[in-house]
Amino acid sequence: MPRRNDIRKILVLGSGPIVIGQACEFDYSGTQACRALMGEGYEVVLVNSNPATIMTDPTTATRTYVEPITADSVERIIEREQPDALLPNMGGQTALNCAVELHRRGVLDRYGIEVIGCDIVSIQTGEDRELFAQAMRDIGLKVAEARIAHTAHEAQVAAKEIGLPVVVRPSFTLGGAGGGMARTTEELDRIVAQGLDLSPVSEVLIEQSLEGWKEIEMEVMRDVFGNGIVVCSIENLDPMGVHTGDSITVAPCQTLSDVELQRLRDYSLAVLDRVGVACGGSNVQFAVNPSNGDVVVIEMNPRVSRSSALASKATGFPIAKEAALLAVGYTLDEIVNDITRATPACFEPSIDYVVVKVPRFAFEKFRGTSETLTTRMKSVGEAMAIGRTFEEALQKVVRSLEDGHTGLVDQEATLADDAQLAELVARPTSHRVYHVAEALRRGWPVERINELSGIDPWFVHRMRDIIIAENTIAAAGLEGLDAPHLLAAKQMGFCDARIAELCGQREDVVRAIRRVLGVRPVVKTVDTCAGEFAARTSYHYLTYEAGGSTEHKRAERERVLILSAGPNRIGQGIEFDYCCVHAAYALHDEGYETVMLNCNPETVSTDYDTSDRLYFEPLTFEDVMAVVEVEQPAGVIVTLGGQTPINLASRLKAEGVPIMGTQPEAIDLAEDRGRFSRLLDSLGIAYPTSSVAQTQEEATQVARTVGYPLLVRPSYVLGGRGMGIVYNDEELASYMEQAANVTPDHPVYLDAFLEDAVELDVDALCDGSQVYVGAILEHIEECGIHSGDSACCFPPFSLSARIASKVRNTTRRLALACDICGLLNVQYAIRDEQVYVIELNPRASRTVPFDSKASGVPLAKAAARIMAGRTLAELNLPPEDRAFGYFAVKEAVMPWARFPGTDTTLGPEMKSTGEVMGLDRTFPLAYAKTREAIDYRIPMEGTVFISVNDRDKRSIGPVALTLANLGYSIVATAGTARVLDAAGIPCERINMVSEPRPNIVDAIEQGRIVFMINTPGSHRSRGDGFRIRAMAVNHGIDLVTAMSGATALIQAIAALRAGSLEPYALQDVGPIKGEYPS
Amino acid sequence: MNLLVSEGRPPALLALEDGTTFAGWSAGAAGETFGEVVFNTSMTGYQEILSDPSYAGQIVTLTYPQVGNYGVCEQDFQAPRLHLRGLVVRDMCHTPSNWRATASLPELLRSHEVVAIEGVDTRALTLRIRGGGAMRAAISTMDLDANSLVARVRQSPGISDRNYVADVSCGIPRTERVQDRTRWHVVAYDCGIKQGILDGLTARGCEVRVVPWNTPARDVLAFNPAGVFFSNGPGDPGQVWATVEAAREIMGKKPVFGICLGNQIITLAAGGRIEKLSFGHHGGNEPVANLLTRRVEITAQNHNFGMVFKSLGPLVPDESGGFEEHERDLRLWFRRGVAPVVRNPLWGRIQLTHVNLNDGTPEGMQFLDIPAFSCQYHPEAKPGPSDSSYFFDSFVQLMEEYEGRETHA
Repeated sequence: MPRRNDIRKILVLGSGPIVIGQACEFDYSGTQACRALMGEGYEVVLVNSNPATIMTDPTTATRTYVEPITADSVERIIEREQPDALLPNMGGQTALNCAVELHRRGVLDRYGIEVIGCDIVSIQTGEDRELFAQAMRDIGLKVAEARIAHTAHEAQVAAKEIGLPVVVRPSFTLGGAGGGMARTTEELDRIVAQGLDLSPVSEVLIEQSLEGWKEIEMEVMRDVFGNGIVVCSIENLDPMGVHTGDSITVAPCQTLSDVELQRLRDYSLAVLDRVGVACGGSNVQFAVNPSNGDVVVIEMNPRVSRSSALASKATGFPIAKEAALLAVGYTLDEIVNDITRATPACFEPSIDYVVVKVPRFAFEKFRGTSETLTTRMKSVGEAMAIGRTFEEALQKVVRSLEDGHTGLVDQEATLADDAQLAELVARPTSHRVYHVAEALRRGWPVERINELSGIDPWFVHRMRDIIIAENTIAAAGLEGLDAPHLLAAKQMGFCDARIAELCGQREDVVRAIRRVLGVRPVVKTVDTCAGEFAARTSYHYLTYEAGGSTEHKRAERERVLILSAGPNRIGQGIEFDYCCVHAAYALHDEGYETVMLNCNPETVSTDYDTSDRLYFEPLTFEDVMAVVEVEQPAGVIVTLGGQTPINLASRLKAEGVPIMGTQPEAIDLAEDRGRFSRLLDSLGIAYPTSSVAQTQEEATQVARTVGYPLLVRPSYVLGGRGMGIVYNDEELASYMEQAANVTPDHPVYLDAFLEDAVELDVDALCDGSQVYVGAILEHIEECGIHSGDSACCFPPFSLSARIASKVRNTTRRLALACDICGLLNVQYAIRDEQVYVIELNPRASRTVPFDSKASGVPLAKAAARIMAGRTLAELNLPPEDRAFGYFAVKEAVMPWARFPGTDTTLGPEMKSTGEVMGLDRTFPLAYAKTREAIDYRIPMEGTVFISVNDRDKRSIGPVALTLANLGYSIVATAGTARVLDAAGIPCERINMVSEPRPNIVDAIEQGRIVFMINTPGSHRSRGDGFRIRAMAVNHGIDLVTAMSGATALIQAIAALRAGSLEPYALQDVGPIKGEYPS
Repeated sequence: MNLLVSEGRPPALLALEDGTTFAGWSAGAAGETFGEVVFNTSMTGYQEILSDPSYAGQIVTLTYPQVGNYGVCEQDFQAPRLHLRGLVVRDMCHTPSNWRATASLPELLRSHEVVAIEGVDTRALTLRIRGGGAMRAAISTMDLDANSLVARVRQSPGISDRNYVADVSCGIPRTERVQDRTRWHVVAYDCGIKQGILDGLTARGCEVRVVPWNTPARDVLAFNPAGVFFSNGPGDPGQVWATVEAAREIMGKKPVFGICLGNQIITLAAGGRIEKLSFGHHGGNEPVANLLTRRVEITAQNHNFGMVFKSLGPLVPDESGGFEEHERDLRLWFRRGVAPVVRNPLWGRIQLTHVNLNDGTPEGMQFLDIPAFSCQYHPEAKPGPSDSSYFFDSFVQLMEEYEGRETHA
């Protein structure tokens, strides 16, 4: 069936901020969808509150609304844009939920909008577990035995009928949030309470446990004609019980015979048929009993998903793009396979390699929470690797994670005694593969490990082979490895560093010997068809093969290699992918052949048509060098992919690799605190006093000279990890005790902490002689809260012209002095009209995409052009100090609900996973939009709970007064109440958690409290404040933990009272209206 | 298995007619084997592939690199013996895992004396076959000298020089019985029939009399079956004239159904021509358009030869959407929404029913004036997707209709 001509304008919903369970895979799919629809000549209206996405680039859609994805907000946009159709299946659960709500309110009917790609009934059947179970029974498929419960009592009754253990799954939550496995009635009560709370419909499913069963996912596509294909099968290494997002997964399925796999294929197509997926991509999850082959359907998602992004990268088949085309009427046979350009998309990809995906976690940032993996997703990112065997892909992906593992080895695992190790092998955690490897090293039989862990013996055998190979390598030593044996080691995925460890050698020695022996990687191609047809795209991976047959094609033009950012983690995510993608676009336009290197399957950068060539490889020195040696690039870009490529820069340069843009020397200068301080001194630029301590005594000495408060952090970690603020000797002593192994090699940095200072983030471009300050962002939270967790505003809402000018000038001097070529980011603290430099990053920062959306200047593209030799003058950018007429606010999104047991206060260590942007006429309105976008309901009336620490007692008065004037009633704890009484502000005194009841706990449980202002007293206390904040998270009560945030929130409330929010399309607010420099 | 995991396996060498050689290790029986090297892109189903008699005379390369993961399951054999000449894989699994597995794949290969090689860059080999076409090759664990083995490959006979069907067909007739109630008695010409096909027939109530490839038509007609089936099989259809002769005598008298080689036999019986494809269709992911339903089926395929549609006769414009000229690329018919009909000098009208969407070759036809139809691919799958299993239902339906017609005549 050809393209539909009865629709003209299509509304596409994105997925909003990056949160656990819903990450940049939806930028990848949404971008593909928008492009596909634009390419077909449709007008695309996009709503997505996430400014860090490629999807929200003003050129990706016709009309781009960086606005909340709520029914209220989207309705306003519908009213303005009058779209003909809504495509809701590209933006994850957020978009589906929004579509269902718009339908429920009658908005879709009222405006005559047709839902395309899936329909509301099928969404509901897919999502509502009871409807789904009935649907599966209709077609003769088994589902896990289950009962719905709305109360703790109903849950207990259900569990009794089914028999413990049971799995608790709340209805309609992201990534299984709030779910878990209950083995005892006590656990059941706890998990059910949490689940009922998190479920928007206060409903949980109590389900038969399928622990130990194999978990298999099928990625399926279907067109309106009923043609169905399975794009990819994915097998979880971890058996049932671990959320698939937290599991190590393998594609294609490894341990099922054709008979078993074809049965799952038949079931998958039948499921889509029954649920009523008209067309598009879906995923169906199955559990397979390893002892008798019994199959149970777990769930299906009638939309593109994290696993469909993985399947796309694993096979080269662009699921989201095709799903968008199917939604506008095409059938699968009418779409041409992009890779072969000769065969139709209506086929099932065949792959001739093995793909392994490993999640990346951030437990170190959320102390106090359990690290056991459950049905509730906790990982923040993932890496994928391609190899010719599972063994190779597994070892590649482990080093792709960039968490210090060179192979299947972990120091901690070696320390466990046998009893502990047995427990660790049995318990699913982020480190279980290392524990399994350790058990194999100790000679435990495969059967025992399978019994303990439930991991299929096939996977355990393959890991055992890796351990046997390790022993062979160690026994032979480096001198004992001839070319065939070294080749065999590389074929098994051992990196040079791991071989060096095993042989007691240095990595560079292994590397040198390997080159002498001629053991070099070959280039292979991901082509969807296992070599049956010629591939027209250059999507590659490297591997080792006897014979050395390579598929590398010589390029016509000079090549630029762009090193991207690897797996998402807190502090390094989609923002850097955005920068790398922009560089690929810009440098392609400059006439280069662009080569992208990354290992993150969720991203746009790893889409095969983002760059001219794509290498899906780990971002380690060895792997990057391998690509460099193959491609011989004219330049390598290291400053757009965050800290990952920056860390490789000097080693690459030492090998003679041409670095494009800012040179490693400048990077060293900015990162070496001593040298950087001397530079600032010589330029006469102020910075907070700082010092270094190697012992407890030295630390106390520093405190005497510099004075409290102090910002303290270990020297050997980045991204604010382990940072703290101490206010007195006692806190300092306890920090030094806990702050990890302070040694002369790893001293602690102590900086004077500028309390109550305003923090600024500045992103600028430098071409060596000129500097362009792209954006000055004013933080809303004060200094001391990590810039990634702080809300910020563009243009600054309270900064004087004098300070702004001084900041620009200082940035200019620093950029030139550091010899920056490309982007730099400088963080400033402003106190008492004084400008202090906190740090300089000689690279693209997290805020570049937001700057670009807010200011209309694509900074990353400009940086790439500068690195390629353009001057700023040639780029013709608008004046720095132009007027805007609007404010854009960026607010961080915190993952508290995922990590029960961890404190929810903001501090110098970054904990947010994503961000939203709000844009409006005034700062308070823009800020209000960010709150709506994060789904914090701003309560317009009710009771506010206030409890602030002593430092904030002076500034709480005006805030409380405004609240009282806005009609809120106030309850406060004793100390705060005293201050409010003194100021004549009416308030009711309430007991703290540790005081006798009735106290705040009762007030929260009665639902009296609509929001809370609670500033923590001590940065390490686990006292009353900690418990209150945890309760706020559990009850979904809006919570502010900093005075600055409280002030902004109250301004936002006042602004909302005065008038409603107006949507803004980016195309209307550009500095040069409607025209964006490219 | 990796060299670092297992030292001391016997080395093996794979040599191709074009002079390329690949060194590896023996992964099956020791010895030496010559045959035509082809590749199969199915990611699972190695056991069904190995036991498919259609691979007689061939050395099969599996493009999926890790083979043998789930071992060998008794129920999955397509024939009691392994007829292929040899197996080429990248990495062989010696420690399989599956609840149904009774042996490992290397054990199976050794017990059936199949020579196999692992450690080969099978992707490089596949690209070579794609470029140079299916060619003669050898695997040896005895002659590891590249020049010597290549020279001997060049002297070995080609696939068309031998009647492999005679090798794999049953020697004496046998009967496959139905579990419940027998509704039809069917005769199947065994040119190398797969168990999956027999299962497809018996599951629908057909008791199958399996007869040797060269059984005279009169013997079959004397049995008075409700329908006659022509099976898949190995090699060049030009070698099975006895079966073609039988088909010509049976067609028009009994409902006829053919799969793969059977489709080619029926084509030859209609006076049509067969061509050799450059590297054939071997895999479980081939898209085939059904011109009658407009649906696309994902199909399992395994053939190097195929029919030439236009050789069956001139188009009947009235029944071909008004088109008078044959098309080289049959995908055009799918785009036009037309299932074209030719007038065959022997059997009347023949309709093209199925077309391969990858390369526009014919995949199925039905005779409009006699009860007969056939397809070039494998509706029984084994291994592969089951999208096309309706072919077996169609056969039963055809027998039903024909019987009705007979009794009312």
